[in-house]
Amino acid sequence: MSFTASKQGDITIIEIEGQLIVGNRQALKQMVLDDLEKGTRKVLVDFARTGYIDSSGLGVLVSLAKKIREMGGELRLANLSDDLQTLFELTKLDTLFQISETRERALESF
Amino acid sequence: MNDLERAQREAALAAEQLAESWEEINLLYSIGEILGRTVKLADAARTILTEITETVRAELAAVFVHDAARGLLQPVAVLGANMASVKAIAIDNDSSSIAAVFRARHPVLVAEHVVGSPDDGAVQRGALLAVPIIWTTPQGGVPLGVLTLSGRKVGQPFTAGDQKLVAAIATQIGTAIQIDNLVQASMAQERLAHEMQLAHDLQMRLLPSPDVVAPQATCAARVEPAQSVGGDFYHLFKLSEGRTGVLIGDVSSHGYQAALIMALTMSAMAIHAQATADPGETVVALLASLNDELRQTEMFLSLCYVVIDPAKGELRYANTGHPHAFVIAVDGTADRLTANDPPLGLGSSAPKSVARPWHRGSDLLLLFTDGISDARDDIGAVLGEARVLDVVRARRAEAPSRIVDGVFALLEGHMGTVPPADDQALVVLRS
Repeated sequence: MSFTASKQGDITIIEIEGQLIVGNRQALKQMVLDDLEKGTRKVLVDFARTGYIDSSGLGVLVSLAKKIREMGGELRLANLSDDLQTLFELTKLDTLFQISETRERALESF
Repeated sequence: MNDLERAQREAALAAEQLAESWEEINLLYSIGEILGRTVKLADAARTILTEITETVRAELAAVFVHDAARGLLQPVAVLGANMASVKAIAIDNDSSSIAAVFRARHPVLVAEHVVGSPDDGAVQRGALLAVPIIWTTPQGGVPLGVLTLSGRKVGQPFTAGDQKLVAAIATQIGTAIQIDNLVQASMAQERLAHEMQLAHDLQMRLLPSPDVVAPQATCAARVEPAQSVGGDFYHLFKLSEGRTGVLIGDVSSHGYQAALIMALTMSAMAIHAQATADPGETVVALLASLNDELRQTEMFLSLCYVVIDPAKGELRYANTGHPHAFVIAVDGTADRLTANDPPLGLGSSAPKSVARPWHRGSDLLLLFTDGISDARDDIGAVLGEARVLDVVRARRAEAPSRIVDGVFALLEGHMGTVPPADDQALVVLRS
């Protein structure tokens, strides 16, 4: 379970490897909050290498989306597996996020 | 000198030395006895001070114990002075000989003519002997406090022999302090475990008995919190005109904060379920009650509230982000009661209800939380929703209690000895 952050223009791209769960959600939150402190306003979370998200993980994504929106920015999601896409649909969280099929499309959407 | 004379002389010398050391040997023996039968540190320290002051003929003695949280040496026993007049000494106090002994872990003899530090004044009358109390571990010595002696009756300075004796006793007091620390920690642990058990029992008592919806419905339910208290719950309501209300909820995260949201939801729902007819209206009213709390705690609540009207052959539900809600038909078909809004606390404002047919006596309502479907085995494999549905389908003609038992048998077989990472709740109802 790890996060990697990279920059493409003014967009921060975060990749989550493995799981986003109660045990590592705070680390993700802190990483994004630190980035916002430095002035970033566009954040893309890429789930290409993410197998599982629990309810706490979903919560931190929503909490970050709210925070970024309050600061005039945007959080976008990309590359959800079929299982994760189903999870977002079943919990109706797909209505709260802009989700793209690929990283490229997500980057274009900002 | 022949051998016999030599032997007699050695025996006489040994007897003389033994007589001289008798008081000291007796003191050490007494202290061993005291520590063996006393549990309270202050009692042991006071008794030891009484014995030691008699042996070395001192009038004033004290035991200071390190209070790590405050960085102080706290007096726990004083002999020959009023306990209230002896103040705690900061371990970084440069003017205190007692603090210096604690820091250096070496005894100090302050001669009679040396003016003592004002911080040590309450336990110093003339010469002062201060000895560190050390707990010896395989990794080295840990300083626990300081033993002081003063007010020598014979008016002579303390000797190196006194210092040696007091150092030996200080080591024994170190054992008493360490035992006391362990006893206190163990008692605190026991109290905490007891309180957690009470909180668990209290939370379980908030959940209604499945019998409250009888006779119009037969229900079985079970909740297993991952910690002593959790955020998964259910509620059941016997409504007017033979209708039954069933709620399942999952507060994000678990533990005490989640348990608080759960308790608030339970009490608010008890009011709103009776005051509103439509599940959508009920959940809107519930959200109004919980909104502030959810916003402040940054928590959210996925729930599914179902109202079954068997006479009308109708089921109505409002689902805010709860993924595992089904109606199992008599032929085994599982129809998901799909969420129509995201979880409460994540932006939903006016959840609406959805209606579908309900076949009296044959349809089965199945609600469970992701702690069941996401449960992991010892290699990290998830149980999965499909396997839960398979068990329920296979047992669909049985009583709800048997179905609940079947699902938990599957769950326990899957998890083995792996502790649950999330709360688990399951409700099965026929009406």
